[in-house]
Amino acid sequence: MDKMTEEQYRAISNMLRKRSLWMLHYCTGCGAMELPPTMTSRYDMERFGIVPYVTPRQADILLVTGYVNIKTLRRIVTVYEQMLDPKYVIGFGSCPINGGVYWDSYSVIKRLDKYIPVDLYIAGCMPRPEAIITAFRYLMDLIDKGKADGYKRYKENLEFYKANQRKVLG
Amino acid sequence: MNMSLGILLATPFVGGILAYLGGKIHRWVRYTFAILFSVLTFCELFFYYGVESANLTWGKLFGSLLVLRLNHLSWLFAFIVTGISMLVVIFSVNDMEEHKGLDFYYLELLFVEGAMLGIVLAGDLITFFMFWEMMSWTSYILVIQNGEMSIKAGYKYIIMSIIGAYSMLVSLGMVFGEAHSLVFSNVSKALAKSSPGFVIAFFILFGIGLLVKAAIMPLHTWLPDAHSEAPSPVSPLLSGVLIKMGAYGLFILFYGLLSVQLLGKLMPTVLSVPLILYIIQWLAAISIVLATFLAILQEDAKRLLAYSSISQIGYVVLGIAAGTSLGIAGGLFHALNHAIFKSLLFFTIGAVIYRTGTRNMSELGGLIKKMPITFTGALIGIVALSGVPPLNGFVSKWMIYEALLQKKEVFLLIFAFVGSTGAFLYLYRFIHSVFLGSLPKKYENVREVPFLMQIPIWILSILAILFGVFPGIAMNVISKAESFFGITPVKYDLYGFPQGSGMGALKVVNISSVLIIAFIIVLVFFYMLPRSKRVSQYDTYAAGQIVTPETKYNYSYGFYMSFGRVVDPIFKWSADKLYTAWSRALKVSGDYMRRVYTGNLETYSSYIVVILTIVAFVILLGGRLW
Amino acid sequence: MVIKEILMAVGIPLLAFSIGIVLMMFKRKIIARIQRRYGPNFVQPLIDIFKLLSKKGNITHGVMYDLGPIIALAASIVVVFFIPIPGMKLMTGSADIIALLYIMVIGSLAMALGAGESANPNSSIGIARALTLMLGYDLPFVIVIITLVLKYHTTNLYVITQMQASSGWAMWFLPLSAIAGIIVTYGALGEHPFDVAVAPHEVATGPMAEYGGKHLGLLMINHAFHIYIELALFVDLFMGGASNIFYFFAKMFVIFVLLIFFDEVLPRFRVDDAVRFYWRWPTILALLGLIIVLVK
Repeated sequence: MDKMTEEQYRAISNMLRKRSLWMLHYCTGCGAMELPPTMTSRYDMERFGIVPYVTPRQADILLVTGYVNIKTLRRIVTVYEQMLDPKYVIGFGSCPINGGVYWDSYSVIKRLDKYIPVDLYIAGCMPRPEAIITAFRYLMDLIDKGKADGYKRYKENLEFYKANQRKVLG
Repeated sequence: MNMSLGILLATPFVGGILAYLGGKIHRWVRYTFAILFSVLTFCELFFYYGVESANLTWGKLFGSLLVLRLNHLSWLFAFIVTGISMLVVIFSVNDMEEHKGLDFYYLELLFVEGAMLGIVLAGDLITFFMFWEMMSWTSYILVIQNGEMSIKAGYKYIIMSIIGAYSMLVSLGMVFGEAHSLVFSNVSKALAKSSPGFVIAFFILFGIGLLVKAAIMPLHTWLPDAHSEAPSPVSPLLSGVLIKMGAYGLFILFYGLLSVQLLGKLMPTVLSVPLILYIIQWLAAISIVLATFLAILQEDAKRLLAYSSISQIGYVVLGIAAGTSLGIAGGLFHALNHAIFKSLLFFTIGAVIYRTGTRNMSELGGLIKKMPITFTGALIGIVALSGVPPLNGFVSKWMIYEALLQKKEVFLLIFAFVGSTGAFLYLYRFIHSVFLGSLPKKYENVREVPFLMQIPIWILSILAILFGVFPGIAMNVISKAESFFGITPVKYDLYGFPQGSGMGALKVVNISSVLIIAFIIVLVFFYMLPRSKRVSQYDTYAAGQIVTPETKYNYSYGFYMSFGRVVDPIFKWSADKLYTAWSRALKVSGDYMRRVYTGNLETYSSYIVVILTIVAFVILLGGRLW
Repeated sequence: MVIKEILMAVGIPLLAFSIGIVLMMFKRKIIARIQRRYGPNFVQPLIDIFKLLSKKGNITHGVMYDLGPIIALAASIVVVFFIPIPGMKLMTGSADIIALLYIMVIGSLAMALGAGESANPNSSIGIARALTLMLGYDLPFVIVIITLVLKYHTTNLYVITQMQASSGWAMWFLPLSAIAGIIVTYGALGEHPFDVAVAPHEVATGPMAEYGGKHLGLLMINHAFHIYIELALFVDLFMGGASNIFYFFAKMFVIFVLLIFFDEVLPRFRVDDAVRFYWRWPTILALLGLIIVLVK
């Protein structure tokens, strides 16, 4: 009886939570250029309930837009740890996936997944607003299925992530 | 019964002398005597609760009797005087420990209490004036005990007090010529028969002395310096009690010596208020607003509270000069409330200074974690001062507003409202910069103040809540005081004011009970939601930047600088600069006149020759110069 | 008898909350349609509040930080009981309009203390600006209220609404005061020309900068109550309450749509410009209204 109501509660809660994701308006790289067209009237993002908010305490989604320097990585880790559970990270553009255009630079990190858990990547240099909206809908599907658990992975594998971060950041 | 008024008056003086002598033996003897005698005075007062009137003739001077008397109004103000003095003595036991000359300090403290008690118990103008002057010089000695800046501040204070007292003396001389006796009843009879010019002249001269002490603009310039530079336990005494003596004197002047009907016959009335009372109301209203704006722009905690005192005394005078029963009751109640919450605020900032050594608000911050009891006291003081229900400032301000609405004095009401909203601004600045915000690294080891210093904070907080939720307790004494002076009292009950006493009705206990029930419901709802974990103050939003203890990450200097840009044009004129300019002009003219004394023997002999020649001419012409 | 009291005690805040939420829903849709796009789902504010209240990893900075939104919400619930709704007097016999002005302050004071405890300078700047703005709009606000009290010779809100039901709306007799009252309602709600306190891109949403999760959920519920309180006060003072709850809601809706139209197209004032504006034109309009009532 209890297990059934807990599953039902989780189903309802996921259904409601996926319709009101709040994005952190924190432009870490050049990919942030594609966010204003997504937010404004032409490719309206607000009809899915996604609104930009300012501080990490208030937001659910961290968009790592574009390449990640070592200096930027330190700030991204601080911001990620300041966000409240449940939180999701979306890697934006090809740079978080494998380094992108900066594949042979000494100060850009090549795989974001080693340092903070990423739920979703969007390929492209820069992805168009339609791609961004498709990615958001895919994230909402993942939340419905219960597979978007990056925050749980971070808490369980904290040592792994921290060791990687310390190796790079010093 | 008759002798006991003398005993009541003599207790603080005897206590002061015993404390001084006892301090020579050991400091605990001094502390015991001081605390014992101040508590004794407070307890003796309760024998007189409900006494309608008591008199004691204690001497005769220039053919006029010297009388002490007690009625309900005197009881109310004596309660304020003895209560706050008792708490000040308890507070200074710990606070003034490193001070030199402590025996003399306790002597003066108890003498100030005795002088103020003498003022409220005075039954004739000579006793009143004697104790008024005594209060001025004993408090001056207390003010200058805090270093070099306080000596300059005390200088301004004593000069302005003495100028006021001289004008009072001139008015006393005038009245003595008319009435040949200075007992209050004889004076009021004589004034009722005098010409309008005489009454107005007496009013203005006597009133100037009172208005200097009550710090109404433009006679207020001594207050910010004196109250902020005085030592920590003395500021509550000055700000909480001494200013009320000016208000008490004004009440006696308006309704004891003169009366509203008499003034109404002698001069034109505006909205059924005599003209001179209306002018005093306008001065009080300007005091409220300008002092509030000045307090918003301050950086020093005690100066902010000093400007706030000017503003709140404006409310008291506004109420007392209104002339209706509701207004006078509101003014008296606000005097009582202001004594309670302003002393509470000064005690909390005294506690903070005791532990941290600074009163500059941009250096403090985050002390809520280290001094929670002081924070609670400051919070209650702030909520009471801004006039938020259910604490006591709300009831007295509500009464003053209703009184002004009844008389349709709308422009004064607008000023009073703006002053009240402005009070909210500077009080928030006070509590934010001292207690909230981030804790600087050098104050990591600050502890809570010792228990003896917490006692005044506890007692005053409880009183603030009590008089707010049950205003009937204080209204009991106030309405009896009003009816003694021939003003119809206000209808009230234990919880507020039923319909018909003002223009609306008020029941504070309903508001407070709904507030408590709603608070409990929301609290229960809050704790049913998922739990939260505690983070340190350095884990805060800085757009990803890591905040360390060395970075100064708080907003404390120039908190209201944008508001300062709005009101800057008003403050190009300042009464302080005017008085300084006058004193400089006096000094320059004195310099010119000093040139007469050259020290040269030939000049002096030529002076003598010239003057003897003129005198010879005068005698030759028959002894007349024209 | 007691059951009726309990029903009223629970029902009235629920009614206020639902009216506030419905107005918030309409607001986002109307703003979206003005900007020629589809807006969010119609029930989006409720979903937002549910999501916020169900966040798991909440943080707190101390006791005062927790108590800030709690006391703010409790104070808003208390204020609801002192504004008469059509057909019921509620508790206006215990506090008249002057007391109501002060009870409305309890919520902002608690919120300010809670935001101060969060040790973030953005919150402090936001609170300083919000308080300065409050000093600005208080001056025309009190002049308008004094005008109404003088005209109807009472300070009891219920009596003011009753007298308007028989003799016509105050809006037609005192048009200047009504215009000043609407401009003041902008400032009190934090609508766009005067939303300098929660400027999202300047000061990181001001006092709410460190609040997230369940605290922010409580603050959003508080915002819904706040919308109800301000609009209900305006409708009671100037449009005479209403005879039943649907007309009441309709009047509030009309005023709210008027507010949204100006909200969408105007940029933000700087805070000292806002105070100078409030002390110039709305004050002059309100003073003219006051002088008209005094002279008549």
